[in-house]
Amino acid sequence: MSDMNGDRYDDGLYDHDLYEDDLSGEGDFGDEEFDAGMLEEELRQAAAVLDPVPPELQQIAVDAYALHDLDARVAELTFDSLVDALPVRGVTDTPRMLTFRAGEVTVDVEVTAQGLMGQVLPPQPARIEILGGPRPGFPLTADDLGRFTGDVPLSGPFALRLRTGGDVVVTEWLRA
Amino acid sequence: MDRTDAGALVRAAADGDAAAWKALVEGLSPLVWSVVRAHRLSDADAHEVYQTAWFRFAQHLGRIREPGKAGAWLASTARHECLKVIRNSQRLTLTDDPRLLDRVSEDGTPEQSLLDSEEAAAQSERVRRLWQEFEELGERCRQLLRVLMATPPPSYQDVSAALGIAVGSIGPLRQRCLRRLRARLQARGAI
Repeated sequence: MSDMNGDRYDDGLYDHDLYEDDLSGEGDFGDEEFDAGMLEEELRQAAAVLDPVPPELQQIAVDAYALHDLDARVAELTFDSLVDALPVRGVTDTPRMLTFRAGEVTVDVEVTAQGLMGQVLPPQPARIEILGGPRPGFPLTADDLGRFTGDVPLSGPFALRLRTGGDVVVTEWLRA
Repeated sequence: MDRTDAGALVRAAADGDAAAWKALVEGLSPLVWSVVRAHRLSDADAHEVYQTAWFRFAQHLGRIREPGKAGAWLASTARHECLKVIRNSQRLTLTDDPRLLDRVSEDGTPEQSLLDSEEAAAQSERVRRLWQEFEELGERCRQLLRVLMATPPPSYQDVSAALGIAVGSIGPLRQRCLRRLRARLQARGAI
């Protein structure tokens, strides 16, 4: 321990280093050997007792197998205003805009506090279900221009299943 | 969960094997949970992100390019949803949920009390102290360790996907964070 640390750091800094959050910084203090693996294992056991996966939540994941649907095409999220839009200064309550795409089909969705509205492009009628999990969803219809409105506030994970002609498209699961 | 196992289970589940799906959930669920916990979401948000990750995984099951990397796929999906939650709320809801810290002492059911020996009580106290010191670590250490402590232990690839840290820096960071935790425990006389 009589290395350069002794010259450069006093005890105060040593304590400070315990609490600072910048790990990119220099200086591993006191390079004593200890069994990191054992401490990690203790943490693992502690987590299993103090913060395990809630069983009811894990059951939902098991049940989610029903969402595995080989016949449907997945419409991937290509735009999410939460990530891709520049914030507008002073405007805090903007609706969330989402765009999904599967091949030629695009689905634009605007999520508001009241529910959602959107449009299927190219414009076409569609039967739509708002899914909230592995159970039957809430039915909607898109008009001839592909426009649809749903007056159910979205919360939690959701996806839209669209039937257009013979085609079934499901949007990527997202959290509203 | 190792890659060979994960890959085989993903392929079996995609082919209709519900038991394989269940095994995937059991093997990777703690990892997904660790990722959302590492990001300190509120309970409600944590539950929703966890579900979203699994729903999306189920949806993409037959289309996942590298089935052996299912853990990293889920971890990365969960991470991105966590970041969206954080961005959306613009503030972190801290997990200073007293129930979390006190859960050990809370387990005071009659059956439990009958089983409790002094030894068990001392053990709980050690676990509680360890957890408390862990919770009070700096944010990056707390995040890293929360993901590392998933059961079974995640691969560094999974951890990298979960936290967006380069694989090569995980080892040194881990060492440093564990050392820091140990120093805290020593300072409290808990070791």
